Amino acid sequence: MAKKKVIAVVFGGRSVEHDVSVLTGLQFLEALDPGKYEGLPVYIDPLGQWWTGDALANRKQYPIDTSANKNLTQLTLDLATPANGQPRFFAFQKGLMGEKRTEITFDLIVPAIHGSNGEDGTLQGLLEFASIPFSGCRPLGAAATMDKVFTKRNVRTSGINVLPELVLSRPPQGTFLNPETIEANLKATFDGDPYPLIVKPCNLGSSVGVGKADNMDSLIAALMAAFRLDYEVIIEPFVTNLTEYNVAVRRDADGGIVSSAIERPLRNAELLDFKNKYLAGGIPGGPKLDTGPSEGMASLNRTLNPDELSNEQEHFIRSSAETVFDMLSLAGSVRVDFLANSETGEVWLNEVNTIPGSFAYFLWEAAAKPLSFLALTETIISEGFELSARRLGATDTKSGGATIFA
Amino acid sequence: MTQHSNWHSDISGSGDASYIWLHGWGYNRKGFERIAALFQKDGTNTLYDLPGFGDTPMLPEGANTEEYAVALAEQLSDNKPHVIIGHSYGARVAVQLASKYPQKVKAIILISGAGLPRRRSIAFKIKAFSLKVLGRLARISDSLFCTTYRDAYIARFGSSDYKNAGPLRGTLISAVNENLAGTARQIKCPTLLLYGTNDVDTPPEIGRRYEQLIAVSRFTELKGYDHHDILTRGAYQCEALIKSFLKDVEND
Repeated sequence: MAKKKVIAVVFGGRSVEHDVSVLTGLQFLEALDPGKYEGLPVYIDPLGQWWTGDALANRKQYPIDTSANKNLTQLTLDLATPANGQPRFFAFQKGLMGEKRTEITFDLIVPAIHGSNGEDGTLQGLLEFASIPFSGCRPLGAAATMDKVFTKRNVRTSGINVLPELVLSRPPQGTFLNPETIEANLKATFDGDPYPLIVKPCNLGSSVGVGKADNMDSLIAALMAAFRLDYEVIIEPFVTNLTEYNVAVRRDADGGIVSSAIERPLRNAELLDFKNKYLAGGIPGGPKLDTGPSEGMASLNRTLNPDELSNEQEHFIRSSAETVFDMLSLAGSVRVDFLANSETGEVWLNEVNTIPGSFAYFLWEAAAKPLSFLALTETIISEGFELSARRLGATDTKSGGATIFA
Repeated sequence: MTQHSNWHSDISGSGDASYIWLHGWGYNRKGFERIAALFQKDGTNTLYDLPGFGDTPMLPEGANTEEYAVALAEQLSDNKPHVIIGHSYGARVAVQLASKYPQKVKAIILISGAGLPRRRSIAFKIKAFSLKVLGRLARISDSLFCTTYRDAYIARFGSSDYKNAGPLRGTLISAVNENLAGTARQIKCPTLLLYGTNDVDTPPEIGRRYEQLIAVSRFTELKGYDHHDILTRGAYQCEALIKSFLKDVEND
């Protein structure tokens, strides 16, 4: 029997979505085929330190005090891949004779970090540089979709319906937001009375830092909250009678692009903020991490394959999601989010998540051609190996005729 | 003989292949919902409530696993071979069925299967023996002097399963004291044994001994899972192992 491939799933991270990422990472590990793969949990704590250990698999351990936990081993990723091409971590353990370095080899990294420093192309770029195979989007697609404005401007060129937006940068230190300038900007961007508006950080997912503004005062307050999280903030008209629709997209084995079931997240509050999105039905301040099977994005109350969508709406959602996937050369299981006005029926593409919560497995399991999470991890892993191999193959100097020292 | 009543069940999926799911003690058919959902495309899944659990009426008081298996065989009247998946107590019934009615069973899959006595330390045995004596004394005292020591004893030392067993207490006691080693030896069908490394109720050691006893068997340990979350968190890993096992069974 062939040796099992070691799949290092990297989760946690220096991101506001750290906790959700822990769930996504653990779920991926649990859905690995034990006959083929060996999962290696790799946890990045909020300080940016990397750890591994069996204790990471247990949700009850979180939040983990990494420095005090004796069952965890600190890791460093070796960026100078050895000649045999086998990527590895170094682990350091204190012994009687001082610190001892051990090697933990692996075959592929699965980034399961949401938001900054993981979903945004930085980790992907690092891995490509080090010739380490990894799954999901390559740096370009990951970076492009993380910037909401960049995504919108791009998809607009292919005729996909998106909301108009106004982008503001954080005012220089020592200065304040000027209501008059903002007023003028609003007039230039939006027709008529601009309010109500919605304010969100440019480079974050998961609805963190999203706020609604009904007038200039609340707009300034929302802007200040958002600027705490990001340098750039995007202002869009607030969609009345808002209904959201999400769909996941991936490339199947034949190279075609396929879309999953469509979901309509259910919610009570007018606005989907982080707490509503991830803790729906839970007690505020209550434990976020349970041991149950349904958690994170998977436990968010939702209607799958909602029947109110017209054929045109469904076609718009599916075709624009597939277009974005193709246009930005995305990979893995990508979730594309849409906004709709349930009265007028208008639908807009909102954002693209290249590492969605729970890898959006519940959308694939409910798809017209259902795909179990087990099969999804398999496709994500084999695609990762293939994409990385494709790039690694082209980096030999001789193949490009660029040899100088013959 | 017991009256022939239908066991309550949920049926999902369709197809010729038949998967019979037998839940563990204290569970009901719902315990398998998550994992059985992963087999909908593969065949017809019948998730039973075992007698005395969920919505299925009890067998006569004190019924043992063999009687459960006899009653189950009546449910499977079609005489075609089924794949039986049992968790914990359900695995005991699966073992009994496979040895008594080989023609009804294509393969059995025991998830955290019980049925073999645990290996215990001397210290544990001494403690268990002392407690047993104490329990007997309490009962004698109660009958002689109208005391209520027995209730206090159960409240203090009884397991939660024992306390919650109600009219099924006799069935539970017979299960706890039973040793299926001899029965397991008679099993001819292919058997898959799945155990979580963190299982303290039915540790992997039991699975390893089953592997020795059953002629055609495959034992796999699932790292990081316990007696219960192997069915939820571990659903996909079980799915993978069960499917590759059944594929091998087909190809043999």
